[in-house]
Amino acid sequence: MSGYVVTILITIAIYAILAHSLNIITGHAGQISLGHAAFFGIGAYTAALFYTKAGLSFWIDVPLAALVAGVVGAVLGIPCLRVRDDFLAITTMGIGFVVEAVFLYIPFFGGAMGIGGIDLPMWAGREMTKSEYLILILVVLGTLYALDYILGRSWIGLAWSSIREDEQAASALGVDIVRFKVMAFILGSALAGLAGAFYAHFLTFIMPYNFGFGQSIMILCMVVFGGIGTRWGPIVGALLLGLLPEISRPIMEYRTLLYGLLLVAMMRFQPSGLLGADSFLVVYFTKGLNRIRGGEVKA
Amino acid sequence: MIWQQLANGISVGSVYALISLGLTMVYGILRILHVAHAGIYTLGAYVGLLSFRLVDNFWLSLFAGMVGAAVAGYLVERFLYTPILHLSRIAPLIASIGLFTAMEEAFRIVAGPHTLVYNARVGLGDLAIGSFRLTETQVLILLVSFLILLFLWLFLTRSRMGLAMRACALDLETASSFGVNVSAIIAMNFIIGSLMAGAAGVLIGVYDNQVWPTMGSIPAYKALAIVVLGGLGSIPGTVLASIIVGLSETFFIGVLSIPFPRDAVAFIAMILVLMFRPYGLLGKA
Amino acid sequence: MTLLQVISLSKDFAGLHALESVSFSAERGKILGIIGPNGAGKTTLFNIISGIYLPTAGEILFQGKKILRMKAHRISHLGIGRTFQIVRPLNNLDVETNVLVAYGHRIYPSLWKSVRACRQREALQEVRGIMERTGLKAYSGTLAGNLPLGFKKRLEIARALALQPKLLLLDEPSGGLRYEESFQLMELIRMLRDQGIGILLIEHNMQVVMDLCERIVVLDHGIKIAEGVPEEIRSNPQVIEAYLGRETQHA
Repeated sequence: MSGYVVTILITIAIYAILAHSLNIITGHAGQISLGHAAFFGIGAYTAALFYTKAGLSFWIDVPLAALVAGVVGAVLGIPCLRVRDDFLAITTMGIGFVVEAVFLYIPFFGGAMGIGGIDLPMWAGREMTKSEYLILILVVLGTLYALDYILGRSWIGLAWSSIREDEQAASALGVDIVRFKVMAFILGSALAGLAGAFYAHFLTFIMPYNFGFGQSIMILCMVVFGGIGTRWGPIVGALLLGLLPEISRPIMEYRTLLYGLLLVAMMRFQPSGLLGADSFLVVYFTKGLNRIRGGEVKA
Repeated sequence: MIWQQLANGISVGSVYALISLGLTMVYGILRILHVAHAGIYTLGAYVGLLSFRLVDNFWLSLFAGMVGAAVAGYLVERFLYTPILHLSRIAPLIASIGLFTAMEEAFRIVAGPHTLVYNARVGLGDLAIGSFRLTETQVLILLVSFLILLFLWLFLTRSRMGLAMRACALDLETASSFGVNVSAIIAMNFIIGSLMAGAAGVLIGVYDNQVWPTMGSIPAYKALAIVVLGGLGSIPGTVLASIIVGLSETFFIGVLSIPFPRDAVAFIAMILVLMFRPYGLLGKA
Repeated sequence: MTLLQVISLSKDFAGLHALESVSFSAERGKILGIIGPNGAGKTTLFNIISGIYLPTAGEILFQGKKILRMKAHRISHLGIGRTFQIVRPLNNLDVETNVLVAYGHRIYPSLWKSVRACRQREALQEVRGIMERTGLKAYSGTLAGNLPLGFKKRLEIARALALQPKLLLLDEPSGGLRYEESFQLMELIRMLRDQGIGILLIEHNMQVVMDLCERIVVLDHGIKIAEGVPEEIRSNPQVIEAYLGRETQHA
């Protein structure tokens, strides 16, 4: 594979982890986070600082990044998840702005110049090639999917879906809604941090602008586009939004406009996403499949 | 000195109130976080500026900005929110964020990324009593916001439609069963909220003497924080919270001269209040 | 045996007295009817007992234990199951899964148990048993949102039963149902009572209340105006004035 293709694939794979992490919060547990890029950034900065300033290796700074992002998620998420659902959307939006400002204005974080000199990990005595790094990320992504599958079948997954459907009813049925919402938020934040660490080691330098509100919207876009709460939605979303700028460079100028309009159009005409239950793709596909099988076509 | 800061704080706070009231009214009735409201505020500023350049009269441009915003607010309600209200509550919020992002980009593409000067001669003049001074634009802001808030209060408490609106905010279903035309009330909510946002956009455009595509970004989030601070859906709470945020911003920076990002004040105030009063200053459980 | 004691419970909403110093108690294996005209405070009472609202004043004891400040899910763990007047099925989950969510109340407190697969044999067996008892067996794979109303009402009860309740709060279980449907539902409620479950029943249909309940509490504008066996309630002039009188006017 050419270096160019590998670079794009790595970006897409990292986006997929990121989209997946938001899907846990928004898709599974039905809570909205509008500042998800902040946790992506916290992971990236944690890994970068531990790597460049403390001299820790990649293999240690990555789990640390996930841990720090998860802890920050717990500290910030618990107070707003205790009150009512709308507060999480608002506070996470604020968190996004504050975290970006902290990276930008506090010299320790490198200011507008960001942090450089973050390398690809060492493996068997030498630095990994990009292709090997891609494989590593794909392994992580695969593991996440296995985890998602297990959680989806578990009591936790069941509790999440009951909260997503109706919080008050879930609570009357014995589900500790705060606890399960916090659980989803921490897990999602930690995984975003993990994605951030991989991102930092891939870009080799990071800047505050990589983790602003626009990025949060893009992550949300990926989840919404693929289909909120579906298992493969995050990958489809990451693939489409990761490829879009590559397919058409001139679109770059209008990229954000396009994301915005896409979100509006999806919610208005295809709210369940490309892989959701009543998506036109799914409907056509099932119809086609039934026709091949010779079965009845459902209306 | 203190009086001066007080006046500054209150004028900043009144603009916040104009922006936030629309949000709180929409939330009160539909339980939607109307993030795109900040886009409507920016649109108001641009329409105001454009018409000012055409007719060279500030008061007409203020009127045009308000009307432009109101039309946009109505269209958003009718063609975006209402068709998807039956979906989960996430859908309108995501659509709203998408719309806000798209609007900001559209402003950038149409009007250009740089700031445009809104140098309007209002014709009010400065107000000076001893060492206490209000600039012309401060007088303007205080005057216009006071008049708008007065009208809003009269409308909500004295008119039949205002009463119906308050009934809808308490309980949409019951209001509907008593024969209130709910869809007209919802439309009216958006129109009034957007009128105020449009006015705020024009006022800020004149106050800062500039209009720019992302001028709504900080209000988008700050107004949400104010609305939460006041108690989601509470109109008096929102006004109170706006003034408090306006005052604390001015005092933190002006009096104590703490090197502190001004725009973080609302956020921190919100977090602090939420810890002790989970439903905001005047909110109900 | 006394299961639930409600002691001088009051609740104000923005100056409006939804409940004023209401007291009564409920027993095991007995059905206590709660009646009163619209706006009497019946559903508010249920919302307080089940932990959705905090009262302005008063105390609630369940098996001698104070439950007022507990969260809704804790109260359900103690063995108080409730149904909602306006049914609240988890629409996009099937009937079996709806009941399974409630079955999980004994699993959720342990993180370790919660990570395991939820469709184990033991759980499914009990859930299917409950569905059979409540006549939902044929609908087990139907999305709850697609059920006819009568079966949504049954689902409300089935979910409450999966909580292994000692006390059931039923909020107008027969509201909106046809005669046969409501008759079958009453049979179900009788059966549950005979199994020793205590039942609080809010009901508008006076015929049903008089037939089913051992005792009845009458609320009007948040005040308890009468309590007694059906015969006493039927002949109580205050009740006739406040409730039955108005009811006939409406009809």
